Amino acid sequence: MIELENLGKRFQSLVALDRVSFLARDGSVTGLIGPNGAGKTTCLRLITTVMRPDQGRIVVDGLDAALDPIGVRRRLGVLADARGLYPRLTAREHIRYFGQLHGLSGRALESRIETLIARLDMAEFIDRRAKGFSKGQAMKVALARALVHEPHNLLLDEPTNGLDLQAARAMRALIGELKAQGRCILFSSHIMSEVAALSDRLVILAKGRVAAQGTLAELAAQTGQESIEEIFLALTGERQEQEANR
Amino acid sequence: MIGRGIAIVFQKEVKDNLRDRRSLALAFLYPLLGPILLGILINLVGGVTRLDPNQSFGLAIIGAEQAPALVDHLKELGVTLRPPPADPQAAVRRGQEGVVLVIPTNFQARLAAGQTADLEVLVDSSRLAGLLAATRIIEAVNAFGRQEGAKRLSRHGLEPDAAQPLKVKTVNLATRANFADFFLFMVPPFLIFTVFIGGVYLAIDSTAGERERGSLEPLFANPLPRAGFMLGKYLAALFFTLMAVVVQLAAFKLMFVSVGAGSGFARVLGAGDALAILAVAAPLAALAVAVQVIIATASRSFKEAQTYLGLLPLVPAMPGLALVFLPLVPQGWMMAVPTFGQTLLFGQLVRGEPIQAAHALIAGAVTLVLALLLLALAARLYEREELIFGG
Repeated sequence: MIELENLGKRFQSLVALDRVSFLARDGSVTGLIGPNGAGKTTCLRLITTVMRPDQGRIVVDGLDAALDPIGVRRRLGVLADARGLYPRLTAREHIRYFGQLHGLSGRALESRIETLIARLDMAEFIDRRAKGFSKGQAMKVALARALVHEPHNLLLDEPTNGLDLQAARAMRALIGELKAQGRCILFSSHIMSEVAALSDRLVILAKGRVAAQGTLAELAAQTGQESIEEIFLALTGERQEQEANR
Repeated sequence: MIGRGIAIVFQKEVKDNLRDRRSLALAFLYPLLGPILLGILINLVGGVTRLDPNQSFGLAIIGAEQAPALVDHLKELGVTLRPPPADPQAAVRRGQEGVVLVIPTNFQARLAAGQTADLEVLVDSSRLAGLLAATRIIEAVNAFGRQEGAKRLSRHGLEPDAAQPLKVKTVNLATRANFADFFLFMVPPFLIFTVFIGGVYLAIDSTAGERERGSLEPLFANPLPRAGFMLGKYLAALFFTLMAVVVQLAAFKLMFVSVGAGSGFARVLGAGDALAILAVAAPLAALAVAVQVIIATASRSFKEAQTYLGLLPLVPAMPGLALVFLPLVPQGWMMAVPTFGQTLLFGQLVRGEPIQAAHALIAGAVTLVLALLLLALAARLYEREELIFGG
């Protein structure tokens, strides 16, 4: 479970996040949506503790990120916005490296890697060096290294970005599977249909603030709109801007 | 736990960079350049300067037929006659002849008359080989002159020594018979250069490079303190640096043995000296890599870091290059200046001189403390968000 309380973050004069609060529950998929620059990635970076908030509190499975960042990182699997690989390491070595950093070793680690190879269909390129991997292959490696320690909480930043149709479908299936295992999944996306199909709860960010949150049905009732796109436009205020532009 | 994490990062960086051609070149090929260059130099200059008094060498003489006695005297000293060139001055200037001895046509006449005969030795003083040959010829000719002079004096009933109140003899105190020391002064700058360049590619690649490839953010989401990641990468760069020093020492040793058969070079850089050099180099390497990590961390891109770090090795190598021409007596305060102290210690060790324990301790301790301070600074820089997301 991931709790955000009154989170604030600025970059010089730019306010990236302003009093952001929400909750991502276990056994549930929480979708973080918003226009580009709304603060989705910053929000995820604060949770992974690679950035520190200027104000507010982040609690992951009861651990305060400011007091125990290492403990929080142990509880998290992260598919970050940046998902660069090491060109000279093989796919297997990538997964092993992250597994070792999470304290895994020996047989347990190797068999866990085999499970991921099978689940993510990576056998064909697992022992090839990452240089020259397709976007889909690179994504699988990035995902596998995020999952290697079987984290209870998952942060996925635009997980289907750049994937072809088939790979995107596989990713959605995986998210459903992880949810069924009782994990807490927080993912960001700008693809409305995807968010609507996957999420149990939605958090809509606009200009660094939470514009609205709730289930799709709750948000529909709140805005009087039916489709996710209409709801989104109504809540982020972009509808008015678009109409004003016409 | 942190120790294990550091070890994991270290192993990954070493493995990753052993697969990288540029890292390997810096650690294992660049260190060979110094020994190879010096080996070539020793062979070229050594061939010229080997002052073996029994070795024969060719000399072009203009007017040899004027002075058969002198020519016989020169031949006795190992000179073989070469055909005189058509234009002796041009031949010397072009380097075709090292020296040309010109005997005037009135040589015999003037000697017979008890007068002084003027001989000329043509030499281009900007050519080392010519200069050395000229010294040898002049000495030989002067010896002949002294003999003639002595004959004249004895004809007048005087002792030969009467006209020679002074006699100078050079006593060479060099431990080696040749110019070895001059070349050995060139070893420390090469070593310093290697200390500052051996791990530089790894230092840049594992920080600035990793940020550019976008792998730093996912890496830092792993449960290890930032300082742990930094230390793992730092130690990997340090490892490559020390490997480079070992490779260079081995190459120097190999070169000295191969050029120095029969000369003093073969004994240079014994195992003990090499180990002592490595021990003196280690704190300096710790300092060099800390500087590299800091620069790589503070730079905005791989290229920027590469620009700064490409120039870096030249600065610490400077004092060593100066010492090639201006040998100094090592003193305590010099040891407290990182790179300078090590340059002096390397020099003493290479020349086989005893070093003072206090000197080695001052140099090691001051450099190590500075390295640790810089490492603490690097750890602080690693905590900054700008490290991942650019400044």
